[in-house]
Amino acid sequence: MSATMAYYPGCSLHGTSSEFDASFKATARALDITLQEIPGWECCGNTAAHSTNRLLSVALPVNELAKVEQDMRLDSVAVPCAACYSRFKIGPHEVAENAQTAADVRAVVGRPYNGGVEVQNLIDVYHDTVGLEALRARVTRPFRGLKVACYYGCLLTRPPKATLADDPEYPMHMDEVVKALGCEAVQWNYKTDCCGASLALTEQGIVDDLVKRIITDAHQCGAEAVAVACPLCQTNLDGRQLMIAKQHPDWKHMPVVFLSQMVGRAIGIDDKALGLQKHLVDVAAVMA
Amino acid sequence: MTTCTPSPLLAENVGSGCGENAYKCYQCKRCTSGCPVARYADMHPAMIMRAVQLGQLDMVFDDRFIWLCTGCETCTTRCPQGIDIAAIMDELKIIARRQGRIPAGTPSAAMLKLNYDSFVRWGRMWEVELITRDVLKRPGSAKNWFTLGPKMMLKGKVNPLLKKGDTLAMKRMVATAESITNARMAQQKKEAQS
Repeated sequence: MSATMAYYPGCSLHGTSSEFDASFKATARALDITLQEIPGWECCGNTAAHSTNRLLSVALPVNELAKVEQDMRLDSVAVPCAACYSRFKIGPHEVAENAQTAADVRAVVGRPYNGGVEVQNLIDVYHDTVGLEALRARVTRPFRGLKVACYYGCLLTRPPKATLADDPEYPMHMDEVVKALGCEAVQWNYKTDCCGASLALTEQGIVDDLVKRIITDAHQCGAEAVAVACPLCQTNLDGRQLMIAKQHPDWKHMPVVFLSQMVGRAIGIDDKALGLQKHLVDVAAVMA
Repeated sequence: MTTCTPSPLLAENVGSGCGENAYKCYQCKRCTSGCPVARYADMHPAMIMRAVQLGQLDMVFDDRFIWLCTGCETCTTRCPQGIDIAAIMDELKIIARRQGRIPAGTPSAAMLKLNYDSFVRWGRMWEVELITRDVLKRPGSAKNWFTLGPKMMLKGKVNPLLKKGDTLAMKRMVATAESITNARMAQQKKEAQS
C-alpha cells in the first residue's frame, strides 16, 4: 500500500491546529505513505476569497493542482483541512463545467491544469488509499468498543456535485474507519450540521449555541467521544465547551479528537507525537 | 421592513456574477429549515431569495443575514431546484461590499476583509494576525480572545509564527483576477445602459 502523495496542509494546520498536522503526518509515515508538501503553497481560496472575488477563489486551488500535476508530477494530493478540501474539489469542477471560467482561470494561473490529480480528504486517505483491510491489519492497540460519534461537519461532503460524497446527508466512510480501529460508531443526528465555522471569530454566542446542540445530541445518542476531520470543527467543538460550561454548571465535557489521532493511537504511535495533550477538553480517558 | 427600493437588476446582477438563476426559487423553504443561522437574523435564505427576485435591495442589504452565512452549503445541497444558494449569498456579499452597503453590527464583514488582505499580503492567511488586527479595531472583542486564546497558546495548540507562501505568485494572481473581474463588470454596466 505504499504511495507517494502531494500534501497541502493549509493555514490552520500550520496555525491553530498543529496537532492535526503532526498526527496526520505521523500516521501517513507509519502507513507507508510518503507526503511531499507543495512548495510555497498559497491560500486555498477560502470563504474570504469566494465572498470577495469569485474568479480568484476558483483559480487558487487550480493553481495548486497545476503545481502538483506539472511541477511535482504526482497524481494525488492529501488535503486534510475540510474547508481547503472543498475548495480543491470546487475549483476543477467549475473549470470543467464552464468554458468562460476555464479561460479566465487559465489566464490567472498562467498555465492549463489538465485534471490529472485526485484530491483526497483525511477520511479518503485512510478509507481508500490505505484501505480498511490494510488499516485493520495494522491496528495493535484497538479501542475495544469505544462509542464514537463521527462528525463530518459541512465541507467534507458538500457541495455533493463536486465532492461526490458517499451520502451528503448521512455519510458513513469515517464511521467505517473508526470501526476498523475497534470503535463502535453511534447513530446520531448532527453528523453534517454546521459548527458555526469562522463565526467563532466574531459571533461567539451563535457558535456556542450550535456547539451545544451538536455535543448534547452526541451525549444523548450514547457517544463517549466525537471524531472530527476538520481543524475548525475541532477548535470550535473542543474550545467552546469551556465557555458553554461557564453558563451551564452541569455541562458534561465531551472529548473531541481528530480521526488522525485515533488512527495513530490504534496503530501504536506515541501520544506525544499525536499532540493529545493540546486539547482543551481532556481526551486522556478515551485515548488511554 | 418598511423601506422599499426595488431594483429590477438585482437578480440579473447576481446571475451574471455567479451564474445562478434566482427566479427558479419557488419558496419551498428547505434552505431555511436546514440553515444553522436562520434564527439569528430577521431575514432567512428563502426570504433573501424572494427579495432578490423582487429586486428589494433594502431587505437584502439592511439585514445582517448574508454576513452570518457560514457557507456551510446545506441550502445548496438540499434545494430541489438545484440552485446554488450559498453562491448567491457570496455574490450578495460581493455586491454589498461594492456598493458600500454593509450594515452596522456585522463584525463578520470586517473579519472577511482582514482575512482576504492577510492571504493577499502573505500568500496565506495568518490567523494570529487576524485576531490582533481585529482587537485593534474592536477593543471590545479582546475579552473573547483572553478567555480561550492564552489557554490554546499554553497548550501549544497555536503556532503564532507564519511561514509565507509564494507571495509573488499570489500578487500576480490577485491582480489578474481583479482586472478580469473589473473588465467584465464594466462591460455589463455598458450593456445595461444601452
